[in-house]
Amino acid sequence: MATPLLRKQLPDPGSFVERRKSVRDSTALRLLSAERSEEIFPILLEEIIALGFPRALVLGVDFESGAVRPVAALKYQPNQLQRFHSQLWAGENPLVAALHALKPALLSPLGGDREPLYCHPLLYRNRNQCWEAERERRRECLAVQNFRSPHKLQLQEQVCASCGMRAYAAMVVVQVGRDPKEGELRQLRNLIETANRYLARLFKVEHYYNRMRDMDVTISQMHTVMQSMADPVILTDGHHRVVMLNRAAERFFKMPEGVTEGGARAVELNNLYFSAALSSMAVSGVESHRDLTLVDVMEGEEVLFEAVCAPTFSSDGVRTGMVTVMRDVTDLRRADQEVRSNLQKLRDAEEIVRQDRDRLNLVIENVGDPIVVADGAAKMVLLDPLAKELFGMGDAPRHPAVVRNQARLDAYLTAFTFSFAEGQNRPLRLHNPASNNEIEYAARSGKIYDARGQVAYTVTVLRDLTAWKKLEQLQLERRMLEVEKFAATGRLAGTIAHEINNPLEAIKNAIYLLPGKLKPPAEPVYDILKSETERVTRIVRQMLGLYRNTDQVGPFDLNSVVDDTLTLFARQLSTASITVEKQLGKLPPIVGSADQFRQVLSNLVVNARDSMAKGGRLAVRTRHVRATDGVHGSVNILLADTGCGIPADMLQSIFEPFVSTKGEKGTGLGLWIVKGIVENHSGGIRVRSRQGRGTVFKLSFPIVR
Amino acid sequence: MPKAKKPQVLVVEDEASVLLTYRLMLEDEGYEVFCALSSQEAEAILARRGFDLVLCDLSLEQNHTGFEVFERVRKRDPKVPCVLLTGYANRETTERAEQAGIAVFFKPIEIDEFLRTLKKLLRNAHGKPAEANRD
Repeated sequence: MATPLLRKQLPDPGSFVERRKSVRDSTALRLLSAERSEEIFPILLEEIIALGFPRALVLGVDFESGAVRPVAALKYQPNQLQRFHSQLWAGENPLVAALHALKPALLSPLGGDREPLYCHPLLYRNRNQCWEAERERRRECLAVQNFRSPHKLQLQEQVCASCGMRAYAAMVVVQVGRDPKEGELRQLRNLIETANRYLARLFKVEHYYNRMRDMDVTISQMHTVMQSMADPVILTDGHHRVVMLNRAAERFFKMPEGVTEGGARAVELNNLYFSAALSSMAVSGVESHRDLTLVDVMEGEEVLFEAVCAPTFSSDGVRTGMVTVMRDVTDLRRADQEVRSNLQKLRDAEEIVRQDRDRLNLVIENVGDPIVVADGAAKMVLLDPLAKELFGMGDAPRHPAVVRNQARLDAYLTAFTFSFAEGQNRPLRLHNPASNNEIEYAARSGKIYDARGQVAYTVTVLRDLTAWKKLEQLQLERRMLEVEKFAATGRLAGTIAHEINNPLEAIKNAIYLLPGKLKPPAEPVYDILKSETERVTRIVRQMLGLYRNTDQVGPFDLNSVVDDTLTLFARQLSTASITVEKQLGKLPPIVGSADQFRQVLSNLVVNARDSMAKGGRLAVRTRHVRATDGVHGSVNILLADTGCGIPADMLQSIFEPFVSTKGEKGTGLGLWIVKGIVENHSGGIRVRSRQGRGTVFKLSFPIVR
Repeated sequence: MPKAKKPQVLVVEDEASVLLTYRLMLEDEGYEVFCALSSQEAEAILARRGFDLVLCDLSLEQNHTGFEVFERVRKRDPKVPCVLLTGYANRETTERAEQAGIAVFFKPIEIDEFLRTLKKLLRNAHGKPAEANRD
């Protein structure tokens, strides 16, 4: 069913014009039936012959080689075609000249021909623009330009600026009669122009078909490239819808067959994360990248990606979507993190080493003794300033004493380094260049081993023994002085006491005789006399005890002294309901004054007794402690009571004279004497006490075998 | 007043005031007290008569000691109880006294204990309490 508009254009048969039109229409229909451009020329030539012309041919132009040669011919013998071959630049050839003129021309007979030739150049020309130009709304389509202004055209410029089409150029050559009629020629011209229009149309179709094929190839190439990439690549359109993704991307964004619920959620989540990332990247416009953590659906592992996103544009600059390439940086980040943490560890270790070194340097500088560090070959590596004085180091001319010192140290170090000893402690006589005298040093050495157990370094500290000996001597002297002082004090006290003793005896006895011979008002005075005299008596007794026992020094058995003392006080102690726990170990004999020891013990036992007014326990223990060297050792005595104890603030001063915890009853001399005697015997005394719990005295005396 | 059979005591002490107090105390206790201020005096008395009890200071005039006096006493009667009074006896002295059976008292003496000991010594020596002799 035709539309009225079409019906109007239907041919109206009958008239002459109509008949000619119908002839033309049949030609048009034949040309229309051609599906390929190369079919046009044979149909055209047949139609020309059908118009009554003897023979015709079509010359084609090859723009690549510039050759002009027949591409189709009718009624020509092959040998007759030879003379139509030419070149585009062969301007002297009238055929080529006619081609360049781009205007139909009637050429006079050529060569063997007796009749003239009608030449009609053909160019890609059309009233309609190419589709490309139409879409881009450009006016420069080659077909239209050729249609509108054929005269200005050059054959060499036949390339469309819009679609890139390489146009054709050809020329239809028809042999016409001697005097061709104008009507015949017009008919011929019309036929050729009609054929050219069909040719141009087919050419255009073929061009776009070729372009499509090329694009298909390109697309499939791009697809292959995309698929062959190991990193996920995703193509999205302007609405962030996924257009295409490669296999690597499918792993994360495509729901696989028979996926678990968790897997499906992972895919959903991945898509969600991706579109979020895409949206934010799209905002930034140009190429941007961001980190994206996705879940590998198959492995179930988290993978950290760096997504790089670039927008895509069409040829006219319209944004069409985005290409996202994701790089797996999980391992990279992990490695990066590891490197960072290793670096930090290294820095920390370095810091520790640096601190250690600084500390060591500080120690070495401040030891105050010469220190020598030597390597495994007994060569000096490091000397502290004091050692440098002794052994010198550097280029300064050496003092002969320094050279001698070096020789001695070398001998010492060599002997030590290559010995099996871990450490060594030997005297070493060296010459001090500063004071210019010989000094005896105690060289103390140790070894530092490397990982293989070889001696890496030896460290030797030299100790100036003269100074040390001097100090020791000084200490001894001071100690002697102390002892002497104590003895002198004791003697003085004894002398004074002795001188007081007799008058005191008289006073005391006299007071004893007084009762009953006094008037009552004088009785308080008598009481004062009596109690104060008794106090003086106690002080004098203590002092006399100290003085009395200064002689008779020799070896004695401490245990028997303990026994004696406890026996002496046995009655007093049991009266006060104090039980005695005696535990006496086997002791070597002690050298000293047994009498003085007896007094020490007596004083301590009396103190213990006085502290336990309501009874209690007194533990007395003796013990021999051997030192590891088998030579030295000590004898220890321990007295522990369960009495009232000593107030903490008094513990410091109980060994001072005239300090007493017993008030009026005590003289304050007991422990002072005890301490004096203990120190006289080079011993030590320590006290531990808690108020209300008891007191422990520990005495220790060194013994030498 | 009948002549009481009081225990007769000799006290030797070079300090007169001390000697006096001893004498008064002992007389209070019911003893008949004879005094000597030196070993010489003591010897003179001992040459004349014997005693139930002898008390003597260790250090006497010059270099004389109580032991000389005791020797004299023992020569006459070995059973007489003797008491040495001393201000600064060392171990040697004490041991010597103990060996000789002589009681030792350190000055300043504990008066009550001192008096008790004297009574005991007399009882042991004569088989009867001194107290009985007083009446």
